Order: sequence, then C-alpha cells, then structure tokens
Amino acid sequence: MPMIEGMLKVSLNHYLLLSAILFSVGILGVLLRKNILVILMSIELMLNAVNLTFVAFSRYSANIDGQVMVFFVMTIAAAEAAVGLALTVTVYKKFREVNIRFFEHLRG
Amino acid sequence: MGVDAFEITVNVAKLILIFLMMVQAVPILVWLERRGSAFIQNRLGPNRVGPLGLMQLLADAVKFLFKEEFLPKKAVAFLYLAAPVVALIPGALALASLPLGSPIEVAPFAMLGREWGPYIFKVQGYDIGVGIVFVLGVSSLGAYSLLMAGYGSSNKYSMLGALRASAQMISYELALSLSLVGILIVYGTFNFYEIIAEQQGPLEFGMFGREFRFSFLPDWGIFYNPIGALLFGVSAFAESNRLPFDLPEAEGELVAGFHTEYGGFKMLMFYIGEYGHMIVASALLAIFYFGGYGLPIPSWSTEAVNGFFAAKGFGSTSASLMTALVSHVSILVKIGIFLWIFIWVRWTLPRFRYDQLMDLGWKTMLPWALANAVVTAVWIYVINIK
Amino acid sequence: MLALADYMFYFLSLLILVSALGVLTMSNPLYAALSLAMSMLGMALIFATLDAWFLAGVQLIVYAGAVMVLFVMVIMLFNISAEKQAFSRGTVSGFFKLASAGVLLGLIAGSIYMSAETVFTPPPIAASEKLGDATQQLSEALFSRYVFAFEVIGAILLVIAVGAVALSRSVGGSHAND
Repeated sequence: MPMIEGMLKVSLNHYLLLSAILFSVGILGVLLRKNILVILMSIELMLNAVNLTFVAFSRYSANIDGQVMVFFVMTIAAAEAAVGLALTVTVYKKFREVNIRFFEHLRG
Repeated sequence: MGVDAFEITVNVAKLILIFLMMVQAVPILVWLERRGSAFIQNRLGPNRVGPLGLMQLLADAVKFLFKEEFLPKKAVAFLYLAAPVVALIPGALALASLPLGSPIEVAPFAMLGREWGPYIFKVQGYDIGVGIVFVLGVSSLGAYSLLMAGYGSSNKYSMLGALRASAQMISYELALSLSLVGILIVYGTFNFYEIIAEQQGPLEFGMFGREFRFSFLPDWGIFYNPIGALLFGVSAFAESNRLPFDLPEAEGELVAGFHTEYGGFKMLMFYIGEYGHMIVASALLAIFYFGGYGLPIPSWSTEAVNGFFAAKGFGSTSASLMTALVSHVSILVKIGIFLWIFIWVRWTLPRFRYDQLMDLGWKTMLPWALANAVVTAVWIYVINIK
Repeated sequence: MLALADYMFYFLSLLILVSALGVLTMSNPLYAALSLAMSMLGMALIFATLDAWFLAGVQLIVYAGAVMVLFVMVIMLFNISAEKQAFSRGTVSGFFKLASAGVLLGLIAGSIYMSAETVFTPPPIAASEKLGDATQQLSEALFSRYVFAFEVIGAILLVIAVGAVALSRSVGGSHAND
C-alpha cells in the first residue's frame, strides 16, 4: 500500500486539484443557473478557487507575494459583489424578477 | 493539541471548562439583569424565592427545560431548529480564543512512574497568533443565526427583526473593527499576550525626546486611545443587539423580533448566544484598554505577583498556578464590571429610532473611528521622528 | 503514515465540495447562499492549514461575515423563494456546458498530473515564525513593494462605493418609488 499512501499524502497537487474542481463547479453555476444572485455567488466561488491556488503556491514556495495577491482579489471580489447586488436590486425594482434574461433590457 | 496524554487531557478540559463558563454565566447574568432593573427602575425584582431571590435561577432553569417544544405550522423546520444552535457558535469560539489569565508554567514532575516534561498551559481554549482578527471574523458570523431564525419562522415580525439585525451588525462591524485600528497601531501586534504584556507597569511614554512617567497610573490602553475605547464600547453594544440598540427585537414594535416564534430551551440558547457576545465584548474591552489579566496597581505586575508567591514558600509550579488564579480573578472582575455597565445602560437609556441608529453608525461613529486611526498613525509617526 | 493535517485536509475539502455543489444544485437561492457561506468557512479553515492565518481571518470577516450576509439579506428582502425555472433550458446546450466545464477540469488536472515531478516540498516553518510572522511579512510586502497597487485598490473601492450607492438609489428621495 505504500503507493496509495504516497498519493494520499497531502501535497501542493491536492490543493491545486481541489481548486480546479471548485473552479469548474463555479463555471457550471454561471453557465447553468438563471438566477442572477446564484450566478454572482458562483463567481465568488471561482474567485475563491483562485485564491486557494495563490495561497497554496505561496505556502509551498515560501513566497509571501501570493498572499498579497489574495488580499487584492478579496477586495475586488467584495467590491464586485456590492456592484452586482446593487444592479440586481435595480433590476428587481423594475421587473420584480431576478432572472438573468431580464438583464437584456439593460441595452436600453 | 499537545505532545503527550497529560497535555492533551488538560487542553481538552480547558476547552470544555471555558464553554461551560459561558453557559454558566447566563443564569447569574439573568438574575443580575432582573435585580438590576428592579434597583434602577424602582420595580419589584425577584425577591420571594430564597435569599435575594437566588432560587429564581433554579425556577427559571426548570421553566426553560420543561416548556413544550413546538414547531410553527409554516416554519422551515431545518432553519428554524438550526438557528438557536448556530447562535451559540460565535460566542463560544471567540471566548475560547481570549486569554483569561497568565500562562501556567509547570515544572517537570513525576507521576505514575514516569517523568512528565515541562509544560506551559495558557488559560484559554486555544491560542491563535492573529488573535483579534480571528475574534472579529468569528463574531461576524453572528448575523447568520438571526437571519436563519427570521426566515425559518415564516413570521413577518421575525423577518423584519432579522433584516434589521443583519443591517445593524454589518454597519457597526465597520466601526467596531476600525476603532480597534488605533490601539493596534500603538501596540503593533495582533497577539493578545503581547498586547497585555505592553500594558504592565506604570504609565510611561517618551515623546519629542522627553520621558513622561505617572507612577500611580497603570500603563493601560485607554490612556493612549480613549476615543477608540469609547467607539469600541458603543459599537459592542450595537453588535450584541442590546438596548439602546435592540432594534432587532424592539418589543414595542416587533413583538420580540427574530425570536418571536421561539420558546423554552431554544429561547434559552438565543439568550446564551447574546450573553456570550456581551462577555466577549467585555473581555475585549478589558484586554485592549484595561490591561487584560494584569492587576490595576502598577507595581503589581505579573512577575511581581509571581515573585510574591515564590517568596511565600510556594514551589515554582504552584506559584505560577497562584499567579494565574489571581490574574484570572482580575480579568473576571473587569469583565463583570463591563457586564454590569451593559445591564446598567440597558435599563437607563431609551431605544433609538432606526434612522437614528443608521445615522449614528454611518455618519458619526465611522468618521470618528477613521479619524482616530489616521490621527493615531500620524501621531505615532511624528513622535518617533528623532 | 497519514498525519492529522492530511485527514483535516480531506475533511475540509469534502465540506467545501459538498457545499459548492449545493450552490450549484439548490433551487432556493437562500439555501444556495447559506451553502456558499459554509464553503467560505471551510475555505478559511483550509487557509489556516496553509499557515495563512491572517488571510483566514480576513476570509471570515469579508466573505462569510459581510458579502454572504449581504446576499442573504437581499434574498430575504425580496422574499425570493424557489424558482420554477432555476436552470437554463435546452438539453443540447446543457450537454455542451457540462462538457466544456469537464474539459476545462480535465485540462487543469492533466497539467497538474504532468507537472507532478516538479512538486514543491513545503519549506520547514519554524515554530516562532508559524503564527505572527507571516502576517508581518504580508504587511511589509503590502506597504512597500505593492504600495502603489494598494493605493489603486483604495481608489477603486471608493469609486465602487459611490457607484453602488448611485445605482441602488431611487430617483427623487430614498423611497420615492417603493
């Protein structure tokens, strides 16, 4: 069983794989769901997956720059959520609906 | 958790004890609240059941335990039942990461036929190096239980209370975190032990090449950052949803807010969560601005107390243990004083209106907290120019 | 021999993946939001296992404490319940969407697998350095090498705060249209 144990021993690859799966789930959420709130949440999920990659690389190469990057990503993600929610609130006030197809009316 | 059986056992016992401490504080606080309100508002408090009405605690406990458990017909069962449990989590996690006494140094000793190495036990559940960041992060989770309770109850009053609560918590979290920035700049660390160590001894500081020394005052944070202390105290009131900021449960407007549909043991769990929040806020006030577990008299530093017990003929382990006990009592007394202030304010001040609450948070406290942080940073920079 | 940290990783990744799938599959947006909050919590714990303690705290404060509470609040404010049409229609396009996500995952996993020889070994972290120092290094990097980026982020945040207020404000007073 040494080979299986060697594979189960957590290394950088495990973190990267977890991040890849999370990113794919986020993409699926954006592609498949119609609710704008859930789409925004899926984007947060994808950003989180990227953050995980940064932190894992930062830890395994003993370089703090990755964590600085995560700090910036988190800031931007929070800002993006704020703007996205503000847009959603505006659209909801007009159409009483949060489905993504109502965003077509944004063309004006 | 530890290197051997003894250390692991002690650490697990500490975690359980601290959780029990939070739970056990609740009956006492409820009793204090009733007696306090009776004193302040000239009404009748518990005074019939036993001496000072102390047996009322027992009666309350029995009542809470034996009330019928019920589920409102339209409630979302999962959210409704999970909310009280979630309410316990932030307080318990945050309290377990606060230092409640000086570390106990245990010298090597023999037991059960083997040597047990030297240990250092901290009087806290677990020590996380970033301390205050963890506490702020965990207590920001408090909004979830209210939101779950509000949504799960399927009741308009609950829903309104929960919405008010979460808006209030998000708004005041900003002022709460920013008011701490000033004191964190002064001490330059996130670690509770380093912050408390800085506050030992008499008040002395150097400024523009001169030394100032007040031997009769302790070296507490409140003398360096009084505005921060005030802002932190006020936003702690808002964070724990107490009067004058108890808009989430405003009984004149919303029946009982987010816990309208709760009774019996589930209600008790919300109480424990709320009091846990208050205990954590009081402990943070004590740690950042009032010397933490240090004694209020400048010459009685932790080392001095340890030396006193050593001179009395205690061994090194038991001297350390006694020091930890004294410092534990010291921080408990400080927490108790702040808890009494919480109760005192509750029965003295009227409730804010909702727009006044938001104005106070966003237009008064936030700018003051920002200004406090900026002025402190500039001041520290200026006085350190050689 | 697997250490405690390994079991911790597997437990946390299970938690994160299950709750992420919850976001994808739950038709009630409130449950999706709570599920995402759970996944954020797990992510904060994973950051802690990677010794990024400060980032774990920030993850709790920013994501779990503020962003997700905001989402839940908006959902409750509009009282959005489970939708009739939560997923996009069309089996063919749905198949292509699933397939494209699968291909992306396969590509990333394949590249990770092929680079398995160049695996990094974690640098030993001294016990003293473990807790406080990473935070100090982070702040030093943030306020020296990355100070320009930091200032730009501050400016962006200000712009976004103003923009969000302008977007959600109704014309003519705060409650004119409601």
